[in-house]
Amino acid sequence: MIERIKNSLKKIEIADYTIHEMKQESVECFFIRRNLDVKRRTNLLEYTVTVFCPFEKMEEELSVEEKLSMEKEHFMEGEHSMEEEPSMEVAAGKKKMLGSSSVQLYPEMDEEEITTAIQSAYHAASFVENPWYELVSGTAEEFVPSSGTLAGHSPEENMKKMSEALFAAEENCGESVFLNSTEIFSKRIVRRIVNSRGVDVSYETCEVFGEYVVQCVEPQDVETYHDFSYRDLDTEALRKDVEEALEMTQSRARAFSAPAAGTYRVILSGEQMRTFFQYYVSRSGSGMIYQKYSSYRIGTQVQGENVRGDSLTITLKAVEPYSHEGIPMKDRPLVDNGVLTTIHGDSRFAYYLGIEPTGNYRGISVPVGSTPLSQMKTEAYLHIISFSDFQMDSFSGHFGGEIRLAFLYNGDTVTPVTGGSVNGSIMEVQGNMVFSKERYKNGNYEGPFAVSLEGVQVAGV
Amino acid sequence: MQVRESEFIKRKKPLLKKLAARLSEQYPFVSLLATDSRAKSYMVSRRNTAVREDELLTARGFVAKISDGKHYAEYSFNQISEDLLDEICTQIEQTVLLSKNAVPEGMTENDYLFSEQNVASEENIVFSGSTEYEIDPEEMGDDVILKQLSEIKNRGLDVSERILDCSVLCNYQKYSKLFLSGRKELEQNVMWMTGAISLAAPRGEEIKDYYRGFSNLGGAEVLAQMKNGVEECAHITLELLDSAPMIPGEYDCICAPDVTGMIVHEAFGHGVEMDMFVKKRALAEQFLGQYVASELVTMHDGASAASQTATYFFDDEGTMAQDTVIIEKGILKQGICDLQSALALRTAPTGNGRRESYKRKAYTRMTNTYFEGGSNTKEEMIASVSYGFLLENASSGMEDPKNWGIQCMVNIAREIRDGKLTGRIFSPIVLTGYVPDLLKSISMMSEEVTLGGGGFCGKGYKEWVKVSDGGPYIKAKIRLG
Repeated sequence: MIERIKNSLKKIEIADYTIHEMKQESVECFFIRRNLDVKRRTNLLEYTVTVFCPFEKMEEELSVEEKLSMEKEHFMEGEHSMEEEPSMEVAAGKKKMLGSSSVQLYPEMDEEEITTAIQSAYHAASFVENPWYELVSGTAEEFVPSSGTLAGHSPEENMKKMSEALFAAEENCGESVFLNSTEIFSKRIVRRIVNSRGVDVSYETCEVFGEYVVQCVEPQDVETYHDFSYRDLDTEALRKDVEEALEMTQSRARAFSAPAAGTYRVILSGEQMRTFFQYYVSRSGSGMIYQKYSSYRIGTQVQGENVRGDSLTITLKAVEPYSHEGIPMKDRPLVDNGVLTTIHGDSRFAYYLGIEPTGNYRGISVPVGSTPLSQMKTEAYLHIISFSDFQMDSFSGHFGGEIRLAFLYNGDTVTPVTGGSVNGSIMEVQGNMVFSKERYKNGNYEGPFAVSLEGVQVAGV
Repeated sequence: MQVRESEFIKRKKPLLKKLAARLSEQYPFVSLLATDSRAKSYMVSRRNTAVREDELLTARGFVAKISDGKHYAEYSFNQISEDLLDEICTQIEQTVLLSKNAVPEGMTENDYLFSEQNVASEENIVFSGSTEYEIDPEEMGDDVILKQLSEIKNRGLDVSERILDCSVLCNYQKYSKLFLSGRKELEQNVMWMTGAISLAAPRGEEIKDYYRGFSNLGGAEVLAQMKNGVEECAHITLELLDSAPMIPGEYDCICAPDVTGMIVHEAFGHGVEMDMFVKKRALAEQFLGQYVASELVTMHDGASAASQTATYFFDDEGTMAQDTVIIEKGILKQGICDLQSALALRTAPTGNGRRESYKRKAYTRMTNTYFEGGSNTKEEMIASVSYGFLLENASSGMEDPKNWGIQCMVNIAREIRDGKLTGRIFSPIVLTGYVPDLLKSISMMSEEVTLGGGGFCGKGYKEWVKVSDGGPYIKAKIRLG
């Protein structure tokens, strides 16, 4: 199919393109309590082709915004200016543009259908007036097999082992708490990325992921939602996660009232941590910076100048060997002791900013702090275990959500509470964050289990 | 104009019928769903332009669902030919065997008693239908669409130098589906189109933003609606620069139709999805026949209940679209149901079995969900509040069918004092509370009903499907934070 696509591209004289091939096989099991409710299997083969259309535009036709876009920003020391870029040389009074558009193709399409679809995408690209940028160049590389321990086993085998671990967790708990419903997906995906600048890379990912709802019926009937994602056959970690979820839901069943409205020292933990730190990952993205939604520069003190708590360090983790453009991914320091060290993103915005394209990251790691959770809890706190949907707005810095379960310590007793909501601003709390000594790992996050935040507003009874 | 049928589906139909016939020799129930869907999105902002096919909404493939008489299995695939029929049948056999090969030993399988009687209860239906549109976005052309979006963007930016950006986007989905089972041969061709204007303005390091959606069942005629709204959106964005944090408390609130829609959808609608009844996860099951809301409240859901982005003729399990009255004058009458949940609950499906795409499982899902209107005017409602807020610009929400907790996020609360808007605004706002408390506190409703279909709905955190929701302005007591 890739050859047929290339033939079509050649026939209609499209010089620059990227082809993505995705082969997926999966098995999917849906359980209600300990009964299998539905079983599924998928076998898919899909193609996405992105075509790039270069064109020129008279300077006088450029809008103010487009002229601004042509001026390369200054984010790194020693960057080259746009005028020094040989490939940008065009006739006087003209500026070079590069439009792009993408189209989905299917394995059963014949060459005529492929050609028509690509022609349509190229036509669309000719109206996409973005300033010119350099596409990713590369070479043909060896296939990269999945590095996780799920590789080498069939999706069925992985499904069986992980589902055994998941259901084993509830065997030793009482009858009042149980897994109400569970969905498990076991996938093997092989991706290939080919472009017109020599990139030809392919890699495999094997993953077991899903979600489960825990129900506890005594002393009141409640439920909690949990998800998981593994690239290793780590049955022990999954079993432990489920055990903790069962225990947490029992606490939720003992929580009857909302905390009083007021300002609290709030402790966030567990699944909320990835979302909380996402603020810094989003604000340091080249797209956010280029479009001026973020004022971050290399060297920006992301927590402000007056840091009274722990300093933040974040590493971007490469969870796949290549980005969607075929850029080799590697771990990169993002923030070092509160100072931004990397602006990350794909080739287009990186070119506009004059920085190295890094690809887009999904994983982060954060060093743990030096304060044990037990020490965090020696003074009054509201430790929020679970939100209905914890949200972090990377534009405004507001975070919050409805409290499903929290523990309130008033200096005397610890009480489980439920209801009410948190409405905080990261800009107000980031100078005084304290990270726990305890470590937590889930999916694409590894770092402190908890963070303590001073002066967070809570709406309660 | 009517949306045309898919040439791809037309070409594959004889082969699909052949596959269905072969599978029917082995399994007592077989259904096949073929989908050919194309979706394109356009975006223009100050420093960025994008056109692409939407990967979530563009898909071409098939799902076979079979029952061996008791248990369900599904196989999703996107290649079919004479040569591949044996392989497809083998894959389906392998899928049936997952209950032995891929789950813990000793695990039982839910028994749906899918007997001949159940199959016989299916009506014999042959159906073909297409929705209407005025302007085909494909015929309008990429250049014209981008030019119109750019004009709207420039008008937004021209309002003030304090506007950092004005992103204007639109997308459409044109899809065809063929459903085949022993007794049904259904075909539909549908198109919807949506648009959005999103503006941002800085307040120090903080970026305040405002979003307004537009939608219709149809085509590029939605662009005309967008042209009239951009200046107002820009002025509201500037107002947000002077917003204050909400002072937590319970207040008399007037909810704009989009906020009403979010309450209808997130707070109550998810709780009446009857696959939740099968799992004993929905508190609503215990309240059937009881008052759950003020007598002013009548709530609908259904693909045929309104003409919006979630309108279709039949669902992904071959059940014809319906208009389901969920709450009638405050009393919970019934939920909404997919076919498999209906079998488990021994009730009738309501045409709400929906898949994100042919690649995913069908669940009970909402469609067009709304409250009927009342008899008040918005002005009367505001005048009735001594101290409270007018809530506008719903941003997101999360369901809690088990405990009927509310989490809805709203961008704007306009202060009302002594029956008048004071001009002060608060942002952002979290709505919390207990769903029946909120619904029973509804004391006034405006006459006019507005539905918006700009968003998608997830089941938990995945399985995105297009929905619309809305209603009138409502007055209720709500806890804000």
